[in-house]
Amino acid sequence: MPSLDPPHGPKPDFSNWLRSLHAATILQSYGAFGLAAVAAGMFLMQQHDLKFHKLRALLSLLPSIQRLELITLRLTLVGFVLFTTGLVTGAQLPRPAGDAYLADPKVLWSALLWLVYLELIVARLFFGRSTRRFTLGVAITFVFLLLTFGITNHFSGLHNP
Amino acid sequence: MNVVVIGLSHRSSPVELRERFAFADEKIPGALAALRESGIASEAAILSTCNRVEIYTATPLAPETAFAELKKFLVAQHAFEGALGAELYALAEPHSLQHLFKVASGLDSMVIGETEIFGQLKDAYELARAHQHTGARLNKAFQRAFNTAKHIRTATNIQRGSVSVMSAAVELAEKIFSSLAEHEVLVIGAGETSEKTARALQSRGVKKITVTNRSPERAAALAAALGGRAVPFENWPEEFERVDIAISSTAAPQHILDRAKLEPLMKRRRNRPLLLIDIAVPRDIDPAVNALDNVYLYNVDDLQSIADDYLKLRKEEIARCEKIIAEKVAALLAANQFSTTDGHG
Repeated sequence: MPSLDPPHGPKPDFSNWLRSLHAATILQSYGAFGLAAVAAGMFLMQQHDLKFHKLRALLSLLPSIQRLELITLRLTLVGFVLFTTGLVTGAQLPRPAGDAYLADPKVLWSALLWLVYLELIVARLFFGRSTRRFTLGVAITFVFLLLTFGITNHFSGLHNP
Repeated sequence: MNVVVIGLSHRSSPVELRERFAFADEKIPGALAALRESGIASEAAILSTCNRVEIYTATPLAPETAFAELKKFLVAQHAFEGALGAELYALAEPHSLQHLFKVASGLDSMVIGETEIFGQLKDAYELARAHQHTGARLNKAFQRAFNTAKHIRTATNIQRGSVSVMSAAVELAEKIFSSLAEHEVLVIGAGETSEKTARALQSRGVKKITVTNRSPERAAALAAALGGRAVPFENWPEEFERVDIAISSTAAPQHILDRAKLEPLMKRRRNRPLLLIDIAVPRDIDPAVNALDNVYLYNVDDLQSIADDYLKLRKEEIARCEKIIAEKVAALLAANQFSTTDGHG
């Protein structure tokens, strides 16, 4: 019943390919980080159960913890590449005159998250950080990433023109 | 015609008595022939394992007469002179069939849900059938028993999980490592349990095994048996850089591996997960190493309690299995073959 449909808002602007790329890669990176956090949560539960000799570890249908850690790492890497692409394309978009890219709260928050993920990955790959601390970091960082979605977006001038 | 069973098992009698009544495989066809010639049974099969000796028959006699005759036969076959009481059980339909189905499903076994008995029962049946001592009654009963056992295996958790220390260790390894084929095992101390555990790991894909022992000869012997290599006992900590699973069972009176020793080794392993299985008593590995990241230490009690927990889970499944068996036996009795009673049923 078309008459009952809410009225359509203005058509989204797809004319700028850079803007589409920016939005798409950023959203996909959130997806990858989210899945990484889920795998990290599974890893932490399973590792705890194995360490403390819980029968639950054997009854669960989860994959081996080695595989769960690998999944977490790979998803974090994929998310990081997408997130980097999204931030770089965002920087190329036109801004109101005089506004610095990093002065925007959402951009600044995202840049901080980017640094945190960078630290997690570098420490895991090159400095032998323990799998437990890495997965714990991935799970916690995602909670902060969700804040970008809700709170900082609200205060961002660039994203609420 | 009535299916009756007479026998003795680990539930009813001690091993000293069971071994007196055991049938060697080559004696079974002769015993079955004698049983049928005597007129006690028109069909018969004998199951003889270390935990039970049972004679399954389809008999034209009334159950009570058949029981007495079968008991006489059993005693005569083995020239047994002692007294027999409750050690011997005798069951008529429908209990005989329920018993057969239970035995096939492993419900009557010492380790509930084990599958070895299924193969043994199948062999016993095939032996009787090959010598044409079974007919319509027993054929149908055994076939239904095998089908029911398979159904129970898939529909319930009666066979789930590890009920031995060795298989619990293997199951743990599979929950830690993605593929056992890529991981090396170190056996410290060439004992019987460590060999069994190593073999269990091999059966699940482990390719490389290293053995070390205080006496190099025994290390070399076990390494040869397992297709691995032996290293001198003084050098085993160096192996830790490569191995991911270590099974320890030395006779050392104190810990041979403690936190101070393992911590630098873990750094060199770049924190890859390490499964330590300590089956020695007194223990070889200081329990404090479990606090290290990526180290998973299980001693023999931990593994035993996993096996016990699994056994508890299996016991909880018994009621479900018995319900299935009761239904299947009722269906079998209702089937044409069995509805034609002949005055004894």
